[in-house]
Amino acid sequence: MSEMLSGAEILCRALVDAGVEVIFGYPGGAIMPFYHALPDHPQLRHILVRHEQAAAHAADGYARASGRVGVCVATSGPGATNLVTGLAAAHMDNSPVVAITGQVSRPMIGRDAFQETDIIGITLPITKQNYQVQDVTELADVVAEAMAVALEGRPGPVLIDVPKDVQNQKIEWHPPQKPRHPRAGARGQSLTPGASPGSLEDGVRAAARLIKGAERPLIMAGHGVILAEAYAEVQALAEKTGIPVITTLLGISGFPDGHALHLGMPGMHGEVHVNRAIQHADVIIGIGLRFDDRVTGNTASFAPQARIIHIELDRAEIGKNVPVAVGIVGDARDVTRRLVAAVEPRRCERWLEHIRGFVRPRTEAFRGDLSPETILASIYEASHGECTIVTDVGQHQMWVAKLYRYERPNTHITSGGLGAMGFAVPAAMGVHLARPNGTVWAISGDGGFQMNMAEMATMVQEGLPVKMAVFNNGYLGMVRQWQQFFHEKRYSCTPIWSPDYVKLAAAYGIPGYRVKQASELADVVGRANAEAGPALVEFVIEQEANVYPMIPPGGSLSEPIEAEPAAAAGH
Amino acid sequence: MLLDDALVTLNRAFGVLRRRNVPIEGLALHPSGTAGVSRLTFVLKADAATADRVAQQFHKMIGVRSVMVLANEDSTTEAKR
Repeated sequence: MSEMLSGAEILCRALVDAGVEVIFGYPGGAIMPFYHALPDHPQLRHILVRHEQAAAHAADGYARASGRVGVCVATSGPGATNLVTGLAAAHMDNSPVVAITGQVSRPMIGRDAFQETDIIGITLPITKQNYQVQDVTELADVVAEAMAVALEGRPGPVLIDVPKDVQNQKIEWHPPQKPRHPRAGARGQSLTPGASPGSLEDGVRAAARLIKGAERPLIMAGHGVILAEAYAEVQALAEKTGIPVITTLLGISGFPDGHALHLGMPGMHGEVHVNRAIQHADVIIGIGLRFDDRVTGNTASFAPQARIIHIELDRAEIGKNVPVAVGIVGDARDVTRRLVAAVEPRRCERWLEHIRGFVRPRTEAFRGDLSPETILASIYEASHGECTIVTDVGQHQMWVAKLYRYERPNTHITSGGLGAMGFAVPAAMGVHLARPNGTVWAISGDGGFQMNMAEMATMVQEGLPVKMAVFNNGYLGMVRQWQQFFHEKRYSCTPIWSPDYVKLAAAYGIPGYRVKQASELADVVGRANAEAGPALVEFVIEQEANVYPMIPPGGSLSEPIEAEPAAAAGH
Repeated sequence: MLLDDALVTLNRAFGVLRRRNVPIEGLALHPSGTAGVSRLTFVLKADAATADRVAQQFHKMIGVRSVMVLANEDSTTEAKR
């Protein structure tokens, strides 16, 4: 028996059929038929954000924490354009997000109608695929295909633009057909002859040979390890061979920080011993990463002695940024498992001893002893190391990446590739919905927090108990640090005023706390962590603290800045 | 390269050339002989590895059906036919 359904109803059903449970969105003129149909589908929980950017970041956070597709919805024009930053962030960090936008009715398209914008054109370079649905008969198929495309292979965002009259069109309902296109992941492999030098087996054998002959091997684990859930495999590879493991910014929590073989984060703000290890390594096994410029510094001087084994799902990444000795195209988990079977057991004790010799302890003074390290330790203690940490972008992001002790898989979520300030607060809402029984802390600076702090209202209205930490140093700290190092200390437009965050939280009905001394940490952070609802803690930190060490942009990993330039010069 | 004959697919393909900063010397779009499929040919002066990297960016694009990299000799041979 068939029934007559509108496009909007079909859209809702297709989302339910795809297993969607949460939608982050904001209504408006061109998406109103969808919002009219939505209450008839109680399986779809809608979270009303305060700005569409937050909807996209929240969907991204949900996707990263759950491994499922995150869905966001906006109207045409400004609603759609407000999604753009969130989609670009999801694109750079390979997060499966599906965005649904309303569009003006088909007869109005191309006539510069009210709230019309070419969101297909705008999002072409920041989506895996996008669709403008021209006929309601295609709608269910397009939704099913979009969900598949977002997830498969290297994940990423997909946008579906639905003109208002298509949402209102009524047709006889048929359940969705199979996606029209073959699965992108399968395509990516079948259509890439020469992806590895020979077959997958040849690649694994060649890698195992290189590892056997290596004296100073390193594993570099990236986001692909988390996406493929290759935790046990990477750990098995490290333990069978004794090879130390470096985790990139997005690879953090892919390997336990406390493991004896874990070295830390590489790159621009990587510890000296980590970057030195890279510069001295003779073989690097890169698993699920793209050798981003923030990791490599100047590629001409990156790992000059190393032959690189690159395990990566996306063939286009192999050889893109650094020359590769052995490229293996495939899922990080599958390939690493094969590699574990192929390598011979070995130890790297002398090499580990060598690396320990690179370690540089640093002593820095912080106002009221309120160092990033003590703050993060208090969050670890309060949550018993079991929370998910979502960070924003800037100095605090680097401190968290370097100093927080991650022991559980996929508990570190941040905007890495795009580096989008304002990410943490909304993304943490998505993380909460993906992990409703866990605690989530959104850590921001005073700059990034002010970008999306309106989402506190969303938390209150929707009952999302996100714990917010604001590292307040009164500056756009990372930019100020660059100004100090590279722009003659000209602090142009980086001092930033903040409201009284405790009163601000109170205005939203949220408990707010201010911490100025390390001695207050345990009590206050413990209380905030124990709140049933959202809570905010402002940490008033040293104003001009820097993130050390630092590789100057475009510089070599061998030449870090380890102290203030003036101090380094002997003043 | 053979790809779906849809404006949005062509737009996306040109977008890849622009965004990846591919040094293009010539560009031609023709019907492929198969309904719904276009043939896009572009000429770039680059070494084989660079050409391969460009091809890989297209391989993963939805709507692209096949990509071939022709070295100078190959294209000369084709032109003679």
